[in-house]
Amino acid sequence: MLEVDAVTRSYADTKAVDSVSFTVPTGAMVGFVGGNGAGKTTTMRMIMGILAPDSGTVRWRGTELDRAIRSRIGYMPEERGLYPKQPIREQLVYLARLHGMSQGQARERISGLLERFGLGERMEDKVETLSLGNQQRGQIIAAVLGEPVALVLDEPFSGLDPAAVDQMSELLREHTAAGVPVLFSSHQLDLVDRLCDSIVVLHEGQVVARGTSEELRETGDLRYRLTVDDDAGWVRTQQGVSVLDLDGPHVLVEIEGADQRAAQRLLAEAVRRGGVHEFSRVRPSLSEIYREVAA
Amino acid sequence: MSVVQSRPRRAGGEAPAEARALTPDSRPWALVAAREIRVKLTDRNFLISTGITLLLILGLLGLQAFIAAREEAPEYTVAVSSSQGEVLVEQSESVLASQEDGASVTARTVADPVAARELVGEGDVDAALVQRENTWTLLSDGGPPGELARSVADAVRTSALSANAEAAGTSVADLMSGAQLDEQDVSGEDDAERVVQIVAGIVFGLLFYMASLTYGISIANSVVEEKQSRIVEILAAVIPVRALLTGKVLGNTLLAFGQMALIVGVSLIGLSFTEFDRYLPMMTEPLLWYLPFFVAGFVALACMWAAAGALASRTEDLQSTTLPLTLSLVMIFVVALNLDGVARTIGSFVPVMSTILMPMRLLEGGVSWWEPLAAFVATLAFSYLTITVGSSLYRRALMQTQGRVSLRQAMRLPE
Repeated sequence: MLEVDAVTRSYADTKAVDSVSFTVPTGAMVGFVGGNGAGKTTTMRMIMGILAPDSGTVRWRGTELDRAIRSRIGYMPEERGLYPKQPIREQLVYLARLHGMSQGQARERISGLLERFGLGERMEDKVETLSLGNQQRGQIIAAVLGEPVALVLDEPFSGLDPAAVDQMSELLREHTAAGVPVLFSSHQLDLVDRLCDSIVVLHEGQVVARGTSEELRETGDLRYRLTVDDDAGWVRTQQGVSVLDLDGPHVLVEIEGADQRAAQRLLAEAVRRGGVHEFSRVRPSLSEIYREVAA
Repeated sequence: MSVVQSRPRRAGGEAPAEARALTPDSRPWALVAAREIRVKLTDRNFLISTGITLLLILGLLGLQAFIAAREEAPEYTVAVSSSQGEVLVEQSESVLASQEDGASVTARTVADPVAARELVGEGDVDAALVQRENTWTLLSDGGPPGELARSVADAVRTSALSANAEAAGTSVADLMSGAQLDEQDVSGEDDAERVVQIVAGIVFGLLFYMASLTYGISIANSVVEEKQSRIVEILAAVIPVRALLTGKVLGNTLLAFGQMALIVGVSLIGLSFTEFDRYLPMMTEPLLWYLPFFVAGFVALACMWAAAGALASRTEDLQSTTLPLTLSLVMIFVVALNLDGVARTIGSFVPVMSTILMPMRLLEGGVSWWEPLAAFVATLAFSYLTITVGSSLYRRALMQTQGRVSLRQAMRLPE
């Protein structure tokens, strides 16, 4: 389990990261969400020890991270990240050797990973000649080649086509299945929603929301959609209910104070007045939640 | 906060096994150095420029040998029409033979002075020596070669003196007694040796200057390449930044030293095939000192070049961050070549400048045994300082990706 505990980092007068705390449990995939400049990259760089936090700590299984543990965390920096003028296999072998593999071991593992990501034919090509998506594949290989105990990935899905997104997701899932915690940042909220066990939303350097996708949705306002036989104009007079949208028999309401009893009263009144065709809870999408908390 | 545990996942074949925990390489700097060397040795531009340099040196030496071979000792022919003329030509031959350049002269006897003159006109002989009444005349077409004219004049004068002395009842030796002027060069040098010293000294200095500049810029470039591509973040997570710097400096030092040794080696082997081979022994001691000075001077600047690379955040910034170093190197080189007297002696103890001046002074001789040693120790001390400052700047500025870092900002950054 990777724990980020109240890390803070300022640049000049602005707090880029302000007392950020969250955990990435064993075998869980955590999505790190936030707009540009929200502090995601700074937080990840502090986890990796590239930047020193002004205060706060990062722990691995309860002990503060040191060089020995950090060297075993697979890391993918934001955009680029490989030698542009060196062949892809050669530099991945170099990285694997820095991780402590022998030349033979390193070549075998890297060739296997490159084949798997469809780069088998391009092993000897210079990185700068590869497409953005293929460079990104090289990047993720660089992150996983050292048999990492945890993965910290900054925008791993950016620039990938749908097939590559699937390959990448599969690779990450293999790691979580083996107990490796994975933290990744992304702007693609649907992807985060689909892949992640939990989500951390960062805004202006602070954690504004965190939890599972379900939990986040629960935190939103209590909204119901109601469809009745006739005009639903009477809903406006109902106590504890405010109408967001009214269109003949269809009405979207927000229950003030998230009072479940007010919702029950609304349903009872509707039944009393005639047929009820629909009465359903409306859950906001992750992007709606995100817009709300990051507003 | 609450999080759910991992959902059931499809386990993959490549999942990492913690039991096989890897430990980072214990000598990462060696891997870094090996990469620097491999990248350079597979760089076509580097290979081509090294090849061209070697070809130029071999070409120059070959040209020198070719010209030397063509400059065969001249063999003059002088037409004479009398036996006295023949004797005089024989005497002038012995004068020429006593000189270094090995010129020789032979007589060609013809019937009369007219025939001799004709041969000169036709270009069959270099000159003709004819006697009219009591006067000897050297005929030539456009002036005789200087050494031939001098040797013939010498022979004529000696012969006349000898005849006149005999007539006066004395001898040439008596007449010339005390008339000889001897010359002595107290410097104990010959001119050619001096030229060789100067040329060799400048070549040593130039090699250091070029290596320091080109490899320095190459170090700065490789640092900013890592920074710009963000791979430095991946590297720094696996190995200490210090190991990265050590490997980089070590790799480039080995490359620079290897290239210099190759150029010097090829030059010396080439020289041994030319007439300059007699100067090789006098270069041994200066060369043995030059090598450690080269390495120490190079390393002294290498970390500073790395720091200059770390202060930049894009390749475009390099020009301004490396400018102070480039200027210093140019100044050191120019000043070193223009110093003389006491200033030059002092300069030969100043770190980095000593790499240029001390080997020069050693080539010229008259340097006490302790002088190169003291200068070398000073360079080592200076290297220690620049390595400390350079690596500190490097570590501070390396992870700053928001634009160029000024020296002052870098000093204030935490490590």
